Amino acid sequence: MKHLVLRFLAVLFVLSLTGCGYNTFQSLDEESKASWSEVLNQYQRRADLVPNLVNVVKGYASHEKEVLTQVADARSKVGSIQVTPELLNDPEAFAKFQAAQGQLTSALSRLLAVSENYPNLKADQGFRDLQAQLEGTENRITVARNRYIETIKNYNVAVRSFPNNLTAMALGYKAKPSFTVENEKAISVAPTVNFESK
Amino acid sequence: MLLASFNVHAELAPIPVLQHRVTDLTQTLSAEQQSALEQKIAAFEQEKGSQIAVLIIPTTQPEVIEQYSIRVAEAWKIGREKEDDGVLLLVAKDDHKMRIEVGYGLEGAIPDLIAKRVITEIMAPSFKQGDFYGGISKAVDALIGLIAGEQLAAPVKQNGQNSFGDLLPLLLVGGLILGSILRAVFGDFFGGILNGGVVAALAWFFGVALLIALLLGIVAFILTLIGPSGLGQLGSGSYSGGGGHSDSWSGGGGGDFGGGGASGDW
Repeated sequence: MKHLVLRFLAVLFVLSLTGCGYNTFQSLDEESKASWSEVLNQYQRRADLVPNLVNVVKGYASHEKEVLTQVADARSKVGSIQVTPELLNDPEAFAKFQAAQGQLTSALSRLLAVSENYPNLKADQGFRDLQAQLEGTENRITVARNRYIETIKNYNVAVRSFPNNLTAMALGYKAKPSFTVENEKAISVAPTVNFESK
Repeated sequence: MLLASFNVHAELAPIPVLQHRVTDLTQTLSAEQQSALEQKIAAFEQEKGSQIAVLIIPTTQPEVIEQYSIRVAEAWKIGREKEDDGVLLLVAKDDHKMRIEVGYGLEGAIPDLIAKRVITEIMAPSFKQGDFYGGISKAVDALIGLIAGEQLAAPVKQNGQNSFGDLLPLLLVGGLILGSILRAVFGDFFGGILNGGVVAALAWFFGVALLIALLLGIVAFILTLIGPSGLGQLGSGSYSGGGGHSDSWSGGGGGDFGGGGASGDW
């Protein structure tokens, strides 16, 4: 008799898990992780481009020390942040990561703005190629960020709405941080620098 | 907040329905030019499997071309699923901007800087002279050349696939014919068993899961016992249903895009 009651309770428990969003959390959580790693991937790709870009610019505009140092500093700051999966569950660390990436974005756009003044640099094929790669990477970052925002939205809605929020609370699923509107603006505006000579 | 975002969405440039590989909303290309482009791209799609789409619109405002372009790419889903080998060539004529949007699977064949060169060295010079067809056509040639060197899955030939859905009508018809022969030779019961065994073995051989293959065998056995009368029509009906896809383009194949490619202007 006791066994039967226990079994019944176990079945009830499992059913309550499927009914209260546990499976939804699992899949949305995975989805958000995947879209997050795509964001990281593209940021990494950008960081990898920076040393080459700095070198090429140095060759033509070595006395633009200030901008070049800014880029180098921002780049090393980005590199120094330990990117772990836990970053996603820690709003403070996430904000720090965002700030560092935003700094690199604005430093890069300043570098490109400065290079407008150097016709020889602009004519350099190596520079033009790096420029195209940087543009493409910035665009991929935007796309990846938008997709991340979308998956996080779905995840957070699932975690916060009733009755899923009870399951979420019991199992420790928290709402995840997303990109804020302010730096969304900063990032979508800054890097568009046009190099087609006019 | 909600209202504001709704308004923003209401003002976005609309995404045209994907009906042809070449979509020109500006009447820039003549009918012959469109079909010439269309044929070139279709032939390549048949040979290689990758999909290219050309879209000419007046403007992408209020969005920048990159934002509009990724929306189109996400809506059209050109390129094959899993291969993600689609390319969108977008021209915003009044904005004097163009973009080559490259699917995930072709980011190696068409890196950003190569896409950029196609734009600045091939398209822009022609566009500057007002030769839109020439610029687009040469750009498509260049893209085809780039994709041709890439190792991709072979294009799916019609009837070339042994998927379960294609196999089922064949088994049904074959089973019924075989069943009536076997029944005549071995009698109802043994003929049915033999037929069921053959159908199950065949299904299993063609990659159907064992349990389902056995189920199919049992179905064949029962059908053989009952006899093909009345069921033959069902079989032939579902068989002819599969042969409908001749030459019409089925649109985007489900390819994904991640923002790769390049933009430029003229």
